[in-house]
Amino acid sequence: MSTFTRSSTSTSTGSTSDGKNGTMNATTTPADRRPRLSGMTWLVWRQHRAAFWTILAATVLSVAWIVYQRGQLVDFLDGYGYPGKSLDEAGGKFQQYNDAFSFVSTGLQVIPILLGVFLGAPLIAGDLENGTAKLVAAQSMSRTRWLATKLALAVLVIVVSTGVLSAVFGWWWNPVKSEATVMDWTSGAAFNTTGPVPVALTLFSVFGGVAIGVVLRRTLTAMVVTFGFTVVLQLVWGYFLLSLGNVVTVTTNKGVTGENASPSLPQGAYQIDQSYVTGSGDLVGWGICSESQTDAARQVCLDKADVVGWSVKYLPMSQMNAMQWFGASILFALTAGVVAFLFFWGRKRLV
Amino acid sequence: MSEGMYAEEPAIEAYGLGMRYRRGWALRDCSFRLPAGRICGLVGPNGAGKTTLLSIAAHVLQPTHGSISLFGGAPGSVESGRRTAFLAQEKPLFRRFTVAETLRLGRELNPGWDQRAAEGIIRAGNVPFDAKIGTLSGGQRTRVAIALAFGKRPDLLMLDEPMSDLDPVVRHEIMGTLLAEAAERGTTVLMSTHVLAELENVCDYLVVVSGGGVRLAGDVDELMSVHTLVTGAKEGDGMPPALGCHTLVESRTSGRQFTALIRPEGPVTGPWDTNAPNMEELLLAYLRSPDAPPLITPTAQVHGQGFGTGAVAA
Repeated sequence: MSTFTRSSTSTSTGSTSDGKNGTMNATTTPADRRPRLSGMTWLVWRQHRAAFWTILAATVLSVAWIVYQRGQLVDFLDGYGYPGKSLDEAGGKFQQYNDAFSFVSTGLQVIPILLGVFLGAPLIAGDLENGTAKLVAAQSMSRTRWLATKLALAVLVIVVSTGVLSAVFGWWWNPVKSEATVMDWTSGAAFNTTGPVPVALTLFSVFGGVAIGVVLRRTLTAMVVTFGFTVVLQLVWGYFLLSLGNVVTVTTNKGVTGENASPSLPQGAYQIDQSYVTGSGDLVGWGICSESQTDAARQVCLDKADVVGWSVKYLPMSQMNAMQWFGASILFALTAGVVAFLFFWGRKRLV
Repeated sequence: MSEGMYAEEPAIEAYGLGMRYRRGWALRDCSFRLPAGRICGLVGPNGAGKTTLLSIAAHVLQPTHGSISLFGGAPGSVESGRRTAFLAQEKPLFRRFTVAETLRLGRELNPGWDQRAAEGIIRAGNVPFDAKIGTLSGGQRTRVAIALAFGKRPDLLMLDEPMSDLDPVVRHEIMGTLLAEAAERGTTVLMSTHVLAELENVCDYLVVVSGGGVRLAGDVDELMSVHTLVTGAKEGDGMPPALGCHTLVESRTSGRQFTALIRPEGPVTGPWDTNAPNMEELLLAYLRSPDAPPLITPTAQVHGQGFGTGAVAA
């Protein structure tokens, strides 16, 4: 689609054209030597260049900031002696690095909403509202090509910017990945900002916005509705996030009160639920004997209930990558469905 | 126009074309043929379906009934997309593009683009090439839109109310350019308007739509020659019975005079003045009397007229 030509067609004002040649192709200025966009790609890039350049520039600035922050973090960790020394003892000294993470991850998490509202919703709704869809349809190229070029360039910009941000943010987080105090890996702050998830969430938000715009045909209405759609998407995604993994259950049989009674979970594991397990394998709530006044009374209570150990459900951190790809592939499939809808709709009512 | 060369190939053929919305018909049972190489005026009152007809031909709307073919192909086919240009009524342009960028749009998206013709139209209006479209006046914007349509070098140029926001001088000048270019290349032009004065000396073909259907279609000279304007003294109520044997299009009385536009079925005899109508009189008569019997001359008729039988190869 993105064809580059060395076409020397000048777009300068009429004063430089020569009437004989007619098409103003005669002169080649040095500025024309670099590859240029042509055809539909040129049109779509020209129309949305402000949005595209803003996204790319913001990406570059964010990447620079993250690279700088990572340098600061690594310097601190080296000076501090991590991982030999636990960060729990660092106290306030680590706070500024912690804050940097939460600041940037918050920013990354609103990208799907921002791009959905400001890139997706107006992408085609603007043309339908202003009539420029008719203008493009009146040219020699098919409107399917126009739609495909618009979507392809949007995908390109989104994948490049969110992909790079996700990779760089993951790289920054990597040295302290197992520290739940920095970011809990099941929280949106980490899960939605690394790996394929930012790309998938943004693509689905933006294409959802495009579809909303195509149906409503009004830019402002589409932006408002898209805002609602993207917020709901975030809520639904957050609600189902933990369901993406396979819950691991670990049980013990050394009682529940002893020194080493609780099961040891792998580092960074996210504990979902814990309860007592009885000799017959039934689960009972761990609050069952909390009303007992003394340890002896409690032990009697536990023995009476036949509690033999703990049962803990958790998600190990090793599942994070698989969960991210599983969730992202669901979002990619939904996005593909939206694209199919757009092309189906575009054949009928794209003017 | 060069009739012998183009009369055979139809630029447009519409068969029982209809467009029905929930609130009613926008265009109904519209059948006509437009031979290539003609400058055709599409005339009708507001809401008659002119824009609907042009939009269907330009593949902006899908008709609910019937079909239309452009040079034998369906609207939206690659061939007809390349050979036709359409200028919508609201003349949409990208407001943030400069004039030069707007012409580049035409160049990038059309294989047969004629930069010289497009630039000529822009330069004739002294529109600066580096001005943003959003800063131009309505007339200048129309000029850019017309240049964009012209630069495509279409075989069929469809214009929806093209001159509505131009002053008379510019209107005259643009119309002159349009006619010269069309004559030079044998371009077929279908132009909707309700400014009847715009059509005199411009069109050699007419299609009148009113009440959702075609009232009048055909070669201007032929249409003029089959109508007669009769003026005489009024005798009692209504029309003189002696005129009853002719097809009456419209009659009006003012004081003791009556004026009638008729299609004579034989010699018109009686104590009346008979004149050939001018185009405005002819069109006004048809527009004022939607119940007048329609007239579609043989060159404007399609085979199997009135039945949507699909596209017929040219």
